[in-house]
Amino acid sequence: MTKKQVKFTTGSLIIVATVFYLIYTGVSQTSVYFFTVSELINKKDTIYDEGVRVNGTVVPGSIDQDKSNLKVNFEITDSKKNLLVHYEGIIPDMFKENIDVVVEGTVDQKGNLNANTLLTACPSKYEAEKKELTNKI
Amino acid sequence: MTTIGHFSLLIAFALSLYIIIAYWVAAKSENEYLKASCENSVYALTGLIVLSSAALFYAFVNHDFSIAYVAHYSNRDLSLFYTISAFWAGQKGSLLLWSLVLSFFSSIVSIQNRHKNRELIPYVMIVLHVILAFFIFLMNFSTNPFEKSFETPQDGSGLNPMLQNPAMMFHPPTLYLGYVGFSVPFAFAMAALITGKLSDVWIRTTRKWTILSWFFLGMGNLLGAQWAYVELGWGGYWAWDPVENASFMPWLVGTAYLHSVMIQEKKDMLKVWNMALILLTFTLTIFGTFITRSGLIQSVHAFGETTLGYYFLYFLFVTIAFSTYYVIKRLPLLRSNNELDSFVSRESSFLFNNLLLVGIAFATFWGTLFPLISEAVKGVKITVGPPFYNQVNVPIGLALLFLMGLCPLISWRKATLANLKKNFLLPFSTAAIAGAALYPSVGEGHFMAWLTFTFSIFVLLTIVVEFYRGTRARSQTTGETPFTSFFTLIAKNKRRYGGHIIHIGVVLMFIGIAGSSSYVTEVQQTVKKGESISIKNYKLTYQGLNEARPNPSQISVIANLNVEKNGKLVWEAHPQRDFYPGTRQQPSSEVDIRSTLKEDLYVILAAHDDNAATFKILINPLAKWLWIGGVILGFGTLICMWPDMREKQRMMAKYSTEKTSKKQEVPV
Repeated sequence: MTKKQVKFTTGSLIIVATVFYLIYTGVSQTSVYFFTVSELINKKDTIYDEGVRVNGTVVPGSIDQDKSNLKVNFEITDSKKNLLVHYEGIIPDMFKENIDVVVEGTVDQKGNLNANTLLTACPSKYEAEKKELTNKI
Repeated sequence: MTTIGHFSLLIAFALSLYIIIAYWVAAKSENEYLKASCENSVYALTGLIVLSSAALFYAFVNHDFSIAYVAHYSNRDLSLFYTISAFWAGQKGSLLLWSLVLSFFSSIVSIQNRHKNRELIPYVMIVLHVILAFFIFLMNFSTNPFEKSFETPQDGSGLNPMLQNPAMMFHPPTLYLGYVGFSVPFAFAMAALITGKLSDVWIRTTRKWTILSWFFLGMGNLLGAQWAYVELGWGGYWAWDPVENASFMPWLVGTAYLHSVMIQEKKDMLKVWNMALILLTFTLTIFGTFITRSGLIQSVHAFGETTLGYYFLYFLFVTIAFSTYYVIKRLPLLRSNNELDSFVSRESSFLFNNLLLVGIAFATFWGTLFPLISEAVKGVKITVGPPFYNQVNVPIGLALLFLMGLCPLISWRKATLANLKKNFLLPFSTAAIAGAALYPSVGEGHFMAWLTFTFSIFVLLTIVVEFYRGTRARSQTTGETPFTSFFTLIAKNKRRYGGHIIHIGVVLMFIGIAGSSSYVTEVQQTVKKGESISIKNYKLTYQGLNEARPNPSQISVIANLNVEKNGKLVWEAHPQRDFYPGTRQQPSSEVDIRSTLKEDLYVILAAHDDNAATFKILINPLAKWLWIGGVILGFGTLICMWPDMREKQRMMAKYSTEKTSKKQEVPV
């Protein structure tokens, strides 16, 4: 290799290495477990106080909403087990019974989830297809 | 009408297969009659898809609810504007729209190249029609837009109110124009690989297609962001959701391609790299469609786990297999004839810019697929969210921004120290001083945002210097007034100065993103009538509620707030909530935004009852610059795209000499 090529290779390698380093540290510092309700309940002793993300369906009749619309308790299910979620914050418009939600937060000592993020399935453009599909199952 | 639509889709499928086979035969046998037949078939195919689209369109406008798709996505109350947009509100219609755009593009390519690129065109058309045939196949045999309802309902289910927003009218078609547009340079690249004609002809031919697709893809993303900002009511516009990432990745790689092809044009280098970038861009558009349609990755956009996604997966594998095979096969022909002159040259800054762009794309790809990767490797699903993307992509983005300022200061081939000093000193020192002055007010605790502003000043200054130097040089040599020189300068070098204008737009977007993501102030409060909420120097006083009934199926509850800034009444905010009694639709919030160049005041009505209401109020500094940057970017693109006679003549001259003396290298 000529001196010039060495320079270019070094420059490129530094960039590539930096990108990989950023990805590596990014993953180790920010990643959270992503569980279904059953998985979370099975593991809840080991992940106490760690960040988790759970998806499930809102159990009908379980929604206990504060009047100000800024606090809500509800249960989510993966049709095997149920999990109680406490959530504080703006409640998305789409939030209601029987919809799929993703919640993020930490598990408390009682095994309930204190959520700081509540995401509802977006106004899916392809919602109709999904409904059809779930009906079939 | 529906029968016509249905049948023209079937015939279109057969015709697309004919075009693929016949073009192949024609190319091998040099049969001009067959080529002409193929060309006509291409136009006929476009006609058939237009006919199907017209049929679906007709069904929407006439509320023909016997078609399941129409019944799912519209109802009688829907305004004409949104009835039209309902066409692509769902999966089936979007496939049809995709095919429509692609068939139009094929016809345009065919017309543009009637008298040139004759060896490439059959293969270009084959590739385009393989893609098209795939989409038409899906519509015929998997998700037919003309499928009948089980029983025809009296009224349709209506369009989700959240999709009833002007941005949603334009966001999907714009995005598709970008997605589909990249098929054209991809098809040319494949044709070049297949035929072995690997000079830069295919790149030059598709330059405008590339810019246009890149522009539409970027705008599609931006419109999506705008929609999220005004409609979703969480105060932000980008959440690093898989669906967003899916269209962001091809845009990034497309941006890298757009820059690196200039090196090939100028220096006949980086051929393999360019080939890889355009193949990757197209692959990423298909990949994006796959992840959004397969339900493989958990997304808030829950597109639904349809089997359709897996067709895209197969298609993806086929694309990757074919393109990799041909790149390897043609590797000897793709060797560069030159090498980079100097470490500090414009070429090398392009190379590093490419690595950074691809780096962001890779980080985004890794983050998006991380749950799958970790599940496969460790057996646990681990996910990364916005903090990951911010932590990784912000530093890379900053390096990119800095390079954007550095690049025009460095000359081609080799920059001398004197040359660097001369160009560098003024923008760099001014930016350093401005940055230092800004630090006390904005830097504390927001290092990255502060760095963004400082770099932005630097980049803007280098661009201003570029314009100034060019104008001065021109007016000195031609004797024109500086004012005229400024415009003729741009007109005579559209690519170069259009590019600079695009960069100005990008810098403004950087500023908008840094401001609105780093310095957000947020208040959430329940107030009774007459009570006030204070946020920074604003005071919002709740005046009460109004009710409105814009159409029979909708009730709107509108809150009135008087907004004072520094004690002066400046605005009345009317955030509202819309209810849809008698339908299955959930209420939707309509935020109200007072947008100024300095900051956005963003007001959400979270809840209300007879005597009190809860509001969430945000101040997003500099948010407007994101959209302004987008408009300037569009303007710069227009200048780049504007037909250029001089460029055309230069090309003609170049290729006519090439024909006469094929082996001679044309110096650039």
